[in-house]
Amino acid sequence: MTQSGYEQPPAIRATALVKRFGGRRVVDGIDILVPAGTIYGVLGPNGAGKTTTLRMLLGIVEPDEGERTVLGTRHPRHASDRIGYLPEERGLYPNMKAQDAIAFMGALRGLPWRTGRARARELMAEAGLGYATHDKIRKLSKGMAQLVQLLGSIVHRPELIVLDEPFSGLDPVNQERLERLVLAERDRGATILFSTHVMAHAERLCERLAIVAGGTVRFEGTVNDARALLPAAVRYTPRNAIDGLAAVLPPDAHRDGEGWRFGLPEAGIEPLLTRLIEGGHGIAGLSIERPGLHDAFVKIVGASAASEVPS
Amino acid sequence: MRRLIRQTLTIARRDFLATVFTPTFLLFLFAPLVFMSFGVIGGAGAANFTESGGEKLRLVALVDAQEGAGLVAADTRLRALFRSPEAPPALMVMTPGPEPEAQARALLTQSSGRSTAVLYGPLEQPRILYLEVAQRHADYLAQLAEEALREARAGGPTPLSRPEFRSVAQAGATALGEDQTAFFAVMGLFMVTLMLAGQAVGTMAEERSNKVIEILAAAVPLETVFLGKLIGMFGVAVLFLFFWGGVVINLGNNLPAEMATALSGLGPATGSAFPFLFFGYFAMAYMLLGSVFLAVGAQASSQREIPMLSLPITLFQFAMLALALSGAAHPGSALALAAELFPFSSPFAMAARAASEPDIWPHLAALGWQSLWVAITLSLGASWFRRGVLQSAGPGLRLPWRRRTR
Repeated sequence: MTQSGYEQPPAIRATALVKRFGGRRVVDGIDILVPAGTIYGVLGPNGAGKTTTLRMLLGIVEPDEGERTVLGTRHPRHASDRIGYLPEERGLYPNMKAQDAIAFMGALRGLPWRTGRARARELMAEAGLGYATHDKIRKLSKGMAQLVQLLGSIVHRPELIVLDEPFSGLDPVNQERLERLVLAERDRGATILFSTHVMAHAERLCERLAIVAGGTVRFEGTVNDARALLPAAVRYTPRNAIDGLAAVLPPDAHRDGEGWRFGLPEAGIEPLLTRLIEGGHGIAGLSIERPGLHDAFVKIVGASAASEVPS
Repeated sequence: MRRLIRQTLTIARRDFLATVFTPTFLLFLFAPLVFMSFGVIGGAGAANFTESGGEKLRLVALVDAQEGAGLVAADTRLRALFRSPEAPPALMVMTPGPEPEAQARALLTQSSGRSTAVLYGPLEQPRILYLEVAQRHADYLAQLAEEALREARAGGPTPLSRPEFRSVAQAGATALGEDQTAFFAVMGLFMVTLMLAGQAVGTMAEERSNKVIEILAAAVPLETVFLGKLIGMFGVAVLFLFFWGGVVINLGNNLPAEMATALSGLGPATGSAFPFLFFGYFAMAYMLLGSVFLAVGAQASSQREIPMLSLPITLFQFAMLALALSGAAHPGSALALAAELFPFSSPFAMAARAASEPDIWPHLAALGWQSLWVAITLSLGASWFRRGVLQSAGPGLRLPWRRRTR
């Protein structure tokens, strides 16, 4: 076992990364360790420093302080043929055909043109875009162009795929396609690092994640670790309306519609159920709800920052 | 290194194809044709105007019929020596009146008349009135009088000498021809560079506007992006040069004999190596100025800024032309050496040197020197772009005495 707890050395190890723009520390000592072969999410509100962090990891921007090792090298550009990247601001040459755009991105990363074109056709067919292989980029819809760009970032079968806000601007159907693509790449053995501020994608895809706010990592761990920061919530609806119910329920209980909501007691739910039945209140409804990533995010980042974030 | 070359060529290929396979490239390729058409139309109009004006001008001789016949015969012989644009106005013989001087003045000053010089009086002592701008016409009338009188005294037009003409082929270029070739080399190189290198100014703007720069910057070093784009545009320039070079060579092979003879004195001192050297210096001039255009154009945040940014470089190009021409006019001088050494005037100055001096080794050294400056300029341009646009200075560029604070 390695320090990361996985069999292989980590795909990315970043220590105390700092980046200043105009005297402001937009990234303020970020540590990230991305195990190889996993899907790793970087979550955070707008302006948290996610994109700058990814750009530093890729070598587009040099950190002012700190160190990073990507695929075993301190110079990410030396490993650029083994990395795929989808930037936040999508960019394609509008007059290029879709298959040529994919092949071009592959060629930049060392894939021969002919192989790139052949793989582009395969990938587009698999993604349901086979009919648009020879269409020029400017004729594609925004979502299709975005998928084409994603295919361009994986056409050379990279070991590490970095996706910056990959789901933004996509309709639900294309979001679903993209999720399938990400999972397929992980199954192929690639490491995927992506940033997002949409919790649902992170919850479904990420094996580990870092929650970033104000240029620092506020949380690092699995989705379950994040959820575990909050107790499970109990929703209870009495069968009989008898006075004295509030005295039986835990102190944090509060009305929630026709029922009550409160945190799962440390001793478990069974002693409480016994008291409720013996007290004659009865049970019309009872559910134990685990907190979502959104709730954990709100707790970690703070309500003010999370208010911008769609759940 | 192979990886960098491959990445460079990938970017160059994309830029070359994206430029050449567009309808606007045809417009670019045939732009000189439009320029030449306007030149031909303008030139023809000007010539027509000059000719029609010239036809109306005349020289007048106020002499009797016998002297007039002698003057006309002499005019016929002498006029054959002039090329048509340089020929004096037609000669008109008029009978003198009782007041020939007044008659001559009237001919010169009346508004409807086009006489530029008038001869009157005996041919032994002719008097010639002329307009101030027509001194040569007055000289011509004087020469006609001399010829007519000599012929009359010799008893007819029988020639006194019988010359024998033999033409001798010129052995290569003359010293004057080499100097002229040097001038044409500098001007030719300047013109093609002026027309073509400026194209590089807007190439990075495309990547910036469509956000592809982020993809390129993540995949390859910026120096490679810059070099690739420059090579791509150089390919376009070479295509342009070969096309028009072919046209010029074909036209040269079909020049009228007179013009071909006139040009036969031109020739470079380096002989058959000159075309290769000229191409080498074209490549260097393009790369050097193109890299400056590229670096400056890459800073433009919108298309609107590009012309404003490129104007100073164009003026800089003219300054380099002036420096190179001054150096070419004084071979071996300190000025010439400065022009040959200063990186941005060096290709022009060395092209002139290739035309006027036969040594080859200085050119190999110059091409190496200029290549080094292409690398330096590209590197500085990429660094400027990295800091200014990508905001990626990194710790290495921070001033050492600045304290790091957290």
